[in-house]
Amino acid sequence: MLRFIVLFGFAYFFMKLHATGDISKYINMKYSYLSFSMIFAMGFLSLYQLVKWVKAGNKGQENSHVHHHHHGHLHEQDENTWYKKVFTYGMILIPIVTGIFLPVATLNSTVVKAKGFHFSMIDNDKDQYANHQILRPNSSLYYDQNQYAEMESSDLKKYSKLSHIVLDDNHYFHGLETIYNYPGSFIGKKVTIEGFVYRTKDIKPNQLFVLRFGIIHCIADAGVYGMLVDFPDDMKGLKENTWIEVEGQLDTTYYTPFKENIPYLKVTSYKKINEPKDPYVYRQYN
Amino acid sequence: MGQSLLQMNTIFISIIIEALPFIVLGVLISAIIQMFVTEEMIAKVMPANRFLSIAFGTGIGALFPACECGIVPITERLVRKNVPLYAAIAFMLTGPIINPVVIFSTFVAFGDSWKMALLRCGLAIFTAVLTAIAISYLFNENQLREFVDQKLHHHGHHHEEQPLRFREKITGVIDHAIDEFFSVGKFLVFGGLISSAMQTFFRTSTLLQLGHTKATAILIMMLLAFIMSICSEADAFIASSFNGMFGTPAILAFLVFGAMVDIKNLLMMLHSFKKKFVFSMIGLIILFVFTGTLIL
Repeated sequence: MLRFIVLFGFAYFFMKLHATGDISKYINMKYSYLSFSMIFAMGFLSLYQLVKWVKAGNKGQENSHVHHHHHGHLHEQDENTWYKKVFTYGMILIPIVTGIFLPVATLNSTVVKAKGFHFSMIDNDKDQYANHQILRPNSSLYYDQNQYAEMESSDLKKYSKLSHIVLDDNHYFHGLETIYNYPGSFIGKKVTIEGFVYRTKDIKPNQLFVLRFGIIHCIADAGVYGMLVDFPDDMKGLKENTWIEVEGQLDTTYYTPFKENIPYLKVTSYKKINEPKDPYVYRQYN
Repeated sequence: MGQSLLQMNTIFISIIIEALPFIVLGVLISAIIQMFVTEEMIAKVMPANRFLSIAFGTGIGALFPACECGIVPITERLVRKNVPLYAAIAFMLTGPIINPVVIFSTFVAFGDSWKMALLRCGLAIFTAVLTAIAISYLFNENQLREFVDQKLHHHGHHHEEQPLRFREKITGVIDHAIDEFFSVGKFLVFGGLISSAMQTFFRTSTLLQLGHTKATAILIMMLLAFIMSICSEADAFIASSFNGMFGTPAILAFLVFGAMVDIKNLLMMLHSFKKKFVFSMIGLIILFVFTGTLIL
């Protein structure tokens, strides 16, 4: 019976993920057919297990776990004592329970930091209360919820009206944060961003990150913000830390290290620029 | 804290969701093959020459997409059927890696890239061949534990004497697959919990210090692989979540060593083979995986 519950639980969980579309928050959608087929595979196995359990019950057997195959698997001994049973089923039930009942969290900088971006300023900071963000600016910590929601919607209105978003000093934080918060509203839009070139190990040769050091509030939360950009050609020749300005069309892509869809630019044109006098960009409060 | 727990859960769930289809695929295929391909078939076609048989053992793993624990009993029965020990060991070590399900899952886990999958296969073959050759010179007898012989007589292998009907074979396959799903699944959950917790609660700098030199990073990942005991069909998803914290050599060591030796299959190997043999073999594997990844 326990086995039926577990198998059915997984079938239900996968179905729920696909029905609500939450699945895209967890996995690369290119392989969604794998998890989609799990609904049926798990459904079938749970049905099989249920039938078997009912049949065994009819025959008056208490233990539905009948071994009539003989490959000498030690697995069969795994569940022969109550505490091993508790361990096995308890363990396997964890993802079903937490997956169904806990909300999906989006990764914040503390996790992102562990994912291949390394800057001495951030890696060497021993202050555990410092909040250094990477790539995606998140100022929600500095507002109360209502205030933040209000600002978010006014920013969204402001930027989604524009046909060409230029992320210059004045708009870097607000524009970027809005794009990261609502990538869907900006797909296909023309965006211009400037910053220095940075590469992580996991991007393709024609991709790079355009980043700027930025300060949202105070130096303890200095971070590195920017976007993934995708060139038509191999860009291996462009050295890291070169300052460039790129213009491109916004789209989103699944970025494996973050396990998240992130916005990126399909570059239409770019040019090298000089490093600005103040490489930091500051958040505008208005 | 609450927020970090939610984040840990999100990473954890995404590992489980990604890995689960491969586990199910793996247990189904391995159950089917174990029902329809017998050890006799392998024993019959095994070449007699020492090196040829090692090469054959290395390659034939592709026919048995079993994970590292499912393959130990098969290996034991191969040795019992007079397949040379070293060839059976070559088979045992590569079987969990050189097979379509594992290669595909590694490909998917590392963002559609063949690099890791190929490196993993290459290092597995390197390690298995060298270990098997060393064993062929070090150990002459079959190294099985004697009392196992008696146990097997009781345990019975009666489908070999009286073939099962097709219907029984099918239900046998499904039963076997479900059994294996549960025994393998708990290790996936356990491994997923450890790796998601590490990523959420360890500061990057701590990990970077731990994995400061290439050698310590490799050893740490080998130890992690041993403790986590994740099935080779799913371990690539755990490994890829460590990408960025550790370099390629350490991740590769995790992928290869973990698929050959972990807590779970150590218990099974000790059940089948003599202690001294098992530990010398593990020593050899550690040596070859370590040097193999170090020179990479």
